[in-house]
Amino acid sequence: MEIKGYNFPDELYYDPEHFWVRVEGDELVMGMDDFAQKLAGEIVYVQLPSEGKKLKKGKKLAKVESGKWLGKVLSPVNGELIAVNEDLELKPELINQDCYGAGWMYRLRANALSELEDLLRGADAVRAWVEAEIAKHASEG
Amino acid sequence: MAEQYPHLEKFRDQIQRCSRCGFCQAHCPVFGGTRRPALNARGKMLLLKEVLEGSLELNDELVESLFQCTTCASCTSNCPSGVDVPAIIKAARKQMVGLGTCHPAFSGMDQVLDEYDNIYAEDEPEDFDRVRGGKAEVVYFIGCVGQYREEDATEAALDLLDHLEVDYTLIDEVCCSGVLEDVGFSIKPALARKNIERILATGAKTLVTGCPYCYRTFSKQEAYAPLREAGLTIVHLSQFLAGRDLGLRSDLKVTYHDPCDLGRHCGIYEEPRQTIKAVAPNFVELADHHQDALCCGAGGGVRGAYAKNSLAMARRRLAQVEDSGAEVLLTECNSCVHNLSNAKLRAQKFRVMTTPQFLMELIEES
Repeated sequence: MEIKGYNFPDELYYDPEHFWVRVEGDELVMGMDDFAQKLAGEIVYVQLPSEGKKLKKGKKLAKVESGKWLGKVLSPVNGELIAVNEDLELKPELINQDCYGAGWMYRLRANALSELEDLLRGADAVRAWVEAEIAKHASEG
Repeated sequence: MAEQYPHLEKFRDQIQRCSRCGFCQAHCPVFGGTRRPALNARGKMLLLKEVLEGSLELNDELVESLFQCTTCASCTSNCPSGVDVPAIIKAARKQMVGLGTCHPAFSGMDQVLDEYDNIYAEDEPEDFDRVRGGKAEVVYFIGCVGQYREEDATEAALDLLDHLEVDYTLIDEVCCSGVLEDVGFSIKPALARKNIERILATGAKTLVTGCPYCYRTFSKQEAYAPLREAGLTIVHLSQFLAGRDLGLRSDLKVTYHDPCDLGRHCGIYEEPRQTIKAVAPNFVELADHHQDALCCGAGGGVRGAYAKNSLAMARRRLAQVEDSGAEVLLTECNSCVHNLSNAKLRAQKFRVMTTPQFLMELIEES
């Protein structure tokens, strides 16, 4: 679905920190959402931690940096990092080019998929959240 | 023309002295990372020569070249004509800013320091759980990179001071703002005043910093003269540690990256090596070292303004580490460790850390 110029695919879960999560079997794929990548500008660096890293929900998973911003990627679940998108090592701009596809960031295994219930999902909830975020950043900007 | 560019006029002789020999090209990290002759020192001097001759205007079109310089001074170290390129680049940038032309990342730095006490516009500094503003023999000054970007390196430096039972205090520090002098602006007197007052209020005799740039600023800039006039000894952490018997030993193959601000700009080459070699006798030099050390690409505002090229420069340095066969790359600068860590590829298995981080690992293992 498009929300005021930002693309938010319906089937994904969204973390309020602007990361999306897709369920693939018992694994999760995550990346940065369209609003965040546009706000950040050109991504110049993505930290790619070692596979096997233990993840705690809400705690730092990695750092990501654009020319004007350095942010933390927080883990959406408790679990383990099982793969990273190695293409981002030399082409972090893939996040800007295709944030839901070639610009995916991490593949995780959650201790319990039920933790995803804390994330946003569904057209109404996502739209309300994104519109509030747009308004918030417009007033700050 | 003489009055049009007063900052540049001071360097007219030097700019004209550039013989276009190109010795600088082999050492320029920006050229090495981009392969663009207009971006090396010779290219910049040619542009400025034309500016002084009136055939080229000092305008936005020159931002790309004149603002893309790490001011690492490797060109100057290798210039047979003795051209002080970093000083000329700083003058050119001041001239351009005066004319209202600047890279937005650099004008952004100046604006940030009007509003914030740190260069990153961060609201919450890491606490580090240490005394701030106490009375002590030593003040430890962290610097913005150590405070907001390389917190682990700072934690290790503080842990090491604790281990050595140094009587030190932190202060509620603000950005030294020295970098503004490199990017066309000036040190903020209000920030300098805060640092000076807070440092002197501790009654310390020694000011130690882990940041080579802060060290340079405190040691050399006029705005910080009151620290020197008060008789304070100002040292970089590597100098403070040199000669101490740490009783540590590592068999790892270790190498060292000379930070430009510590090495070429301040002549501090041996103190870090003294500490490292005493602990890790299996020490190797990189292909370029001491005054010929290849810049990591982070300085002169380039990491902020031209991040991708900055990382490309760091990767050239990391290729030298790979060639050396070292298992650990040590350096004494939070900016260098930040850029080199960011640039390191996953296939490169050596580790990148500051000397205090390396020492603290050994202490914790022993």
